[in-house]
Amino acid sequence: MKPWALLCLLGLFALPVVAGVQVGQSAPPISLPLLTTDSAAELTLDSLRGKVVYLDFWASWCGPCRVSFPQLEELRQELGPQGFEVLAVNLDEFEPDALRFLEEVSVSYPVVRDGAGETPATYGILGMPTGYLIDRSGTVRLVHQGYRKSDGAALREDIIELLGEQAQ
Amino acid sequence: MKPLTYLFVALCLCACETVQPWERGTLAKPEMQWQTDPREISFQAQINASKEATSGGMGAAGGGCGCN
Amino acid sequence: MAARPGDKHSALLALTSSALLLPAYQAARADAPPQFMEMGVRYSKYKEDDTQGKKTFGGSSERYDIDAAQFHLLAPVADNWSVAVDVQWEDMSGASPWFVGESLDGSPKVIMSGASIADTRTEVSVTTRYYYDRGNVGLNYVHSDEDDYKSDAVAVDGAFNSADGMTTYSGAFSYSSDDIEPTQGSVPTNTLKADKDISSAWIGVSRIVSRNAIVRFGLSYTYRDGFLTDPYKFRDQRPDERKEWAISTGYRQFFMGPNGALQADYRYFDDDWGVASHTLNLAWHQNFGFSTQVIPFLRYYSQDKADFFANIADLDQRYFADDYRLSAFGAISGGLRVRHEIGNWAITAVGERYETDESWGVYSGEESPALVDYWRYSFGLDYIFR
Repeated sequence: MKPWALLCLLGLFALPVVAGVQVGQSAPPISLPLLTTDSAAELTLDSLRGKVVYLDFWASWCGPCRVSFPQLEELRQELGPQGFEVLAVNLDEFEPDALRFLEEVSVSYPVVRDGAGETPATYGILGMPTGYLIDRSGTVRLVHQGYRKSDGAALREDIIELLGEQAQ
Repeated sequence: MKPLTYLFVALCLCACETVQPWERGTLAKPEMQWQTDPREISFQAQINASKEATSGGMGAAGGGCGCN
Repeated sequence: MAARPGDKHSALLALTSSALLLPAYQAARADAPPQFMEMGVRYSKYKEDDTQGKKTFGGSSERYDIDAAQFHLLAPVADNWSVAVDVQWEDMSGASPWFVGESLDGSPKVIMSGASIADTRTEVSVTTRYYYDRGNVGLNYVHSDEDDYKSDAVAVDGAFNSADGMTTYSGAFSYSSDDIEPTQGSVPTNTLKADKDISSAWIGVSRIVSRNAIVRFGLSYTYRDGFLTDPYKFRDQRPDERKEWAISTGYRQFFMGPNGALQADYRYFDDDWGVASHTLNLAWHQNFGFSTQVIPFLRYYSQDKADFFANIADLDQRYFADDYRLSAFGAISGGLRVRHEIGNWAITAVGERYETDESWGVYSGEESPALVDYWRYSFGLDYIFR
């Protein structure tokens, strides 16, 4: 077999070595425009320091997002006053798709847009959706792959525990 | 052996570049699935297997119709 | 679907619906069960053209007519499971080729089985599927029941994504056990009671080519064992074993400009009866807005005859069959499928025309006077419980 063909064959089976953000690491900074306003003003992850943040990477075509959105909204309504916030980052290639999704599944938490795909690359996402639970000090405490129906209840416990901690 | 080699080459020539998880929106569309309408496909497959000598093999466990 | 006499059905075929519920390629998300319950019904009408007068003893005759209804239910269960139930009812009536004889001018002509036969078939299929982070595993059971034929089949299938999600490996194994008890009366049968087993295995790999395209390759093997002869044909004696191989490939590509997708599938089939075939399926999936799809489709099929096929059976040979389905022919079919969504409802309508001719195939052989053409229509209604 020709050497270039062999290399390509290896490419088939090679696993990408993406150093994704791990639990215990500091959450990389994010500064992205809000999706639902016309202003170019950006929302930064830094501005949410001191709160427990669930950073959610989503897209309109991701099935489990139809389940996660209502559950995250509920959690935010309940635990928001105690300092919990959800920051959703939309990764749709086309913005209208994201807006259509939000019309059907509306939420009150901030949704920002990253059409270029830089933030998910920085975070090293392996699948959609992926959520990062970040504590009051800006450290990633949980990486949540996918979303199942019963995840809301488990997340609630984790969030309450983190809310009890002081910011450093 | 030669056709098999070409097959392998063709297989890996397809995408030596990874498509990131967040770039797979188009691939999630219904028309980009292997079976867009499973019931329609199974019905067509049943008819075809009853009227022809071939059955199965198209991405489903073979076998198929008991037609001789 | 089974047609009687002459065509038999194994529930194993319905198995295609279970393996078809297999998400052969999971996109970028972790493998997940369906989010919402969905239900659907479908009604289909299948009508064969009358036989050609000059090719039939006794002049042109009506052939097969089938009315079919399908019910489908798919529901997520707990966090990681789904259950699917499919029920199909078929009402069949009509005449079928009994045997082929030589007419006075030397040309072969088909003799049809006289009076109209009526039969009903019921089929129930249940599939349960377990989803984990990198794939899923399914288990399916199908039972099919009609006057002269009963079938039970089980199948196991699984899919597994590579770590980067670019490749999906899948496999399936199935086993079916069928019992035949031909109905006595319309034509003499060459068995009173018989059975057969069918085992089948399939492996496949699917790979993302680009943001807009995917490709797959598959390989399957099927082994049939038991009474494989057609009991309703006057002169029919087939081997009691059949080994089949098939390789297949598929391609899907989305085109942003026209907002549509091209679907292409090809299969090559080969067995130890001498039958070989090529199948090519093409479809263009055109979107209109977000709720409507119009899908024209085309199929080309060409098969080679079984070693022991002959219009006028050679009774000196060990095996013989004059069944048109084992002859060499080509078939071209095409049609249109339309789907429209309104809220949580979806309406589907399909029309298809299928025609056969010996000269359309890439293999040549004796043309059977009993080659079939048909029309098929289907209407469906689906609801998703969002």
